[in-house]
Amino acid sequence: MNWLNVKLIFLREVRDQLRDRRTLFMIAVLPLLLYPAMGIGMLQMTLLFSEQPRTVVILGEKHLPPPQLLDGDRFVSNWFNNPADADKLKVITDTSVELGGGGLNAARNLLLLEQARALRERIEQHTAVGNELKQAETKQRERLKNPAASSDESLAMIQQRIGQLQAKQVDIDHELMDLFASSQIQVLIVVPDGLKENIERVNRLIVERDNSQVGGFSYPRPTIVKNRADDKSVVAYARVREVLDAWEGEILRQRLTAAELPEELTKPVGSAPLDLAAEEQISANVWSKLFPALLVIMAVTGAFYPAVDVAAGEKERGTMETLLICPATRTEIVLGKFFTVMCFSMSTALLNLMSIGATGHYMLSVAGGMGRGALAQAGVITLPTAPALAWLLILLIPLSAFFSAMCLALATFARSSKEGQYYLTPLLMVSIGLTVFCLSPAVEIYPVHQASWFYSVMPVVNIALLLKALLLNPGNTGALIFAAPVLATSIGYSLLALWWAIEQFSSEAVLFRDGERFEVGLWLKHLLREKEPTPTFTEAGFCFVLIMLAQFVSMRAFGQSIASATPDEMGVQMMKLMVIQQLAIIACPALFMALILTTSVRQSLRLWLPNWKFVAVAAFLPFALHPLSLELMASMQWFFPQLPDGATRLLKAMGDREQSLPLILIALAAAPAVCEELAFRGFVLTGFNRNGRTRVAIGLSALAFGAMHMIPQQVFNATLLGIVLGLIALRSNSLLPGVIFHFLFNSISVVRERVGVQVADGHAEQFRQSFWHWFVLLEHGGLRYTWLTLVISGIAASACLWWVWQSGREKSTSETVNNLFANGLAPAQQHSTFAS
Amino acid sequence: MISVQQLTKGFDDLRRGWVAALDHVSFDVQPGEIFGLLGPNGAGKTTCLRILSTVLRPSSGTATVSGFDVVKHPAEVRQRIGFMSNNTGIYDRMTAFEMVEYYGRLYGLPDDLLKLRLDRLFETLQMNDFRDTLGAKMSTGMKQKVSIARAIVHDPPVIIFDEPTSGLDVLVARKVLATVQSLKDQGKCIIFSTHIMREVEKLCDRIAIIHKGAILAMGTLSELQEQHQQPDTEELFFDLIERYDQQNQPSAAGFAPVAG
Repeated sequence: MNWLNVKLIFLREVRDQLRDRRTLFMIAVLPLLLYPAMGIGMLQMTLLFSEQPRTVVILGEKHLPPPQLLDGDRFVSNWFNNPADADKLKVITDTSVELGGGGLNAARNLLLLEQARALRERIEQHTAVGNELKQAETKQRERLKNPAASSDESLAMIQQRIGQLQAKQVDIDHELMDLFASSQIQVLIVVPDGLKENIERVNRLIVERDNSQVGGFSYPRPTIVKNRADDKSVVAYARVREVLDAWEGEILRQRLTAAELPEELTKPVGSAPLDLAAEEQISANVWSKLFPALLVIMAVTGAFYPAVDVAAGEKERGTMETLLICPATRTEIVLGKFFTVMCFSMSTALLNLMSIGATGHYMLSVAGGMGRGALAQAGVITLPTAPALAWLLILLIPLSAFFSAMCLALATFARSSKEGQYYLTPLLMVSIGLTVFCLSPAVEIYPVHQASWFYSVMPVVNIALLLKALLLNPGNTGALIFAAPVLATSIGYSLLALWWAIEQFSSEAVLFRDGERFEVGLWLKHLLREKEPTPTFTEAGFCFVLIMLAQFVSMRAFGQSIASATPDEMGVQMMKLMVIQQLAIIACPALFMALILTTSVRQSLRLWLPNWKFVAVAAFLPFALHPLSLELMASMQWFFPQLPDGATRLLKAMGDREQSLPLILIALAAAPAVCEELAFRGFVLTGFNRNGRTRVAIGLSALAFGAMHMIPQQVFNATLLGIVLGLIALRSNSLLPGVIFHFLFNSISVVRERVGVQVADGHAEQFRQSFWHWFVLLEHGGLRYTWLTLVISGIAASACLWWVWQSGREKSTSETVNNLFANGLAPAQQHSTFAS
Repeated sequence: MISVQQLTKGFDDLRRGWVAALDHVSFDVQPGEIFGLLGPNGAGKTTCLRILSTVLRPSSGTATVSGFDVVKHPAEVRQRIGFMSNNTGIYDRMTAFEMVEYYGRLYGLPDDLLKLRLDRLFETLQMNDFRDTLGAKMSTGMKQKVSIARAIVHDPPVIIFDEPTSGLDVLVARKVLATVQSLKDQGKCIIFSTHIMREVEKLCDRIAIIHKGAILAMGTLSELQEQHQQPDTEELFFDLIERYDQQNQPSAAGFAPVAG
């Protein structure tokens, strides 16, 4: 590696970008001019903008009790938390309109009143029908309870009447809805006759402490009509509610005073909040929500355009070939370009954040000074502290590196700038999705209730969450513990992405993709006509995607059928579904793809008889690996989030003694062993191994195998097992040892669970004295392995794996070469015979 | 200087299936010689030259430049060749001087030597007028000069021209050809690919006629004319191609298996 070349390319690219108007616009013009401009615009809006008053109609104003609720066509402003809000509601009452009020709007007010009255009529009908319905239902209940009682109506007649009434009610509701929607009324208050008198009467009863009158406290109450689906109505209702609550509180207070009762009577608990937030903490809270999201979005946007320009743009302008011919290696070229993209990604993010922060800060202080609008209420916001900003800078580096490498790899694949933008858009969308996820207050890097380090290793999310915690409180030791894993994994992901970018840059197929026209029909024909003995890398990848998609789609159906099963059937139902899932979702795609897309199903799925030594090792290895895997998972519990309900239920079903052992073994050991091996060690691994890079193939197939298991714990465990299984499959060049290993491994898990329950249920003492106790411990009703077992297993497993790694190494490499040779020439020969 | 043995390169095509872009091609080029690759578009010329310049890897066969294998020692090979093609890109946002200087540095020339070479190149190619013009503002002729300067800034013993005159007007093309001639006189080993007969007749010491990935005939112009009793180069060329296509009629549906 010649760093001089990297520097040379980096400097050239940076200069090139700086001479580009688009880049300058993105990193300089946009942040420095756009945000202040937007700020000015927003300030003007808040100053000019006045909310349209909403219309509230009150029917029966004269029945309203004191104190005064209305002041002309407004509510009395005292009843609002913010007296200025009184202007936002315009009240029309029947009394004011009849008196000829309203001036210019008299005609409109009359119309509104008419509409309101029509509505009131329907409401009364609604209530009447509702009462009738209630009576009929009471009658029905009585008849059902006491069928012998003689009555003038039969049960059938009552039921018929209920049906009619219900239908009528629905009709009235529809009419109400239509009327309300077509009217200009946002909220309608219908005050029943005699409300004032009724309240006064009740007040008197309370003063006299007289509760002898039956139903003395019940009287018709006002109805408030609103429409929850209409925003205007919702806003108006919220204000009306505020007014009425305050007003009602005053009525209640007067009532209590009159009755010589303490005001606290209505608040037996009456808790009082104590807010500890200091001014700067409120600001920190705002920044901790805003900055992580902005940082992610700006880092990816900043990487986006330079990446397209330095990779796809170079291809498009025809300068790529020239660069490839110069002595700089591909790695040097990619690094030079990578640092350029990263440099712009970081500066875009920083400049944007600085500009947004400064503009926001300035705007709020201006608005606060003017004391108007919603902005003024937010108060003056201080900028984040220096340690918080330092963390922001530190975390930006791996974030930008990751996005830059990803963008570069994707953009390299594209033939033109336009194509590059298409490929990068999904990346942008995913990043925005992730930031929205991180914005949720429930998502934290250190969830208090469940110790989990899981988020700290998720790409992008880990940085956003750590930054969120640190911006809130830079000295937060709870969050600082996560800095190391977050930084380490982020740098790891960046390196992986960079490696991928270099791979892309070294691939002829990517660099010299011709501008051929792509037609789906032609491509399908090509796929079926030019079959090769084994699947290609892309086909293998597609098989995995297909399996994941099928799993996603089937989730709902499976969930439903499990939910609908009775508790007794649940276990059996679950086992059945497991088998169906394995066959339909995992085995089928692999089998069909092998049949349709390859000429040799046998070779694609490794359906060969293996050397007996591999079978022997595969049969022994599970016993050695199981204790290790179990203890590893147990010791990693702190890392993962809690198991979801479904998985816990499945584990329970595994240990359930009521279930028949053969059924469980078929569902949880035999079916996965055959189906998952066919798919992942068959089709997928063969495809991934096409270019002869064994380690990459094993790693990728193991990751795919892990990803299929969805639940983080299982993903981790399955990925590790996938490596072992992949190695065995490649070295033995047969599916059989893998199937045996997989079956035995799963069987041991099932049996351990059951035996554990059994032993704990009565044979515990006996067990403790047997010689097994040297190897296996009984803990919390389950079996755990002793250190002795672990050491023995470790040695045995390492020996086995070493043997597998070594044996057949030459054979399998020469085989890959043969395969490559065959793949290179076979189609040609095949085609020529076909043609002649 | 350049030695190509049984070079083959195949790729997968959507319409035609497996296609051999180069089919067991062999030839040698000596210093002080211009070797012409003559063939229609899509004959495999560019594929062959890209393999020589190490950006493509051959499916089989070997190629060496100055004794270095293109697959095993690509870095050494790249250090010793200059490559110029008709669509050699010029960076839009770089001046002529910056561009040539950039490549000179990538080739690892020390500062003083680089300065010397830049001065001499800009002098001989008469590029001092547009030293500081941005690529986007250059005419085709200027761009072509920059391209040549870029390709020979490190004074390589081997220079590859891939259709350097296509799309150029007569005056510029003439100047390019003159430059090629003068490079030959300096003792460089030159491969010159083209589909224009006139250029071949004028420049090349030896030629290979290439069609559908295979070399149909090779030798000096007079040797070829004698062998095929056809004094006119153009007629000679079309005869060879027609005869080849007729022979391979039966399998014309797909790619052609060829006896090299």
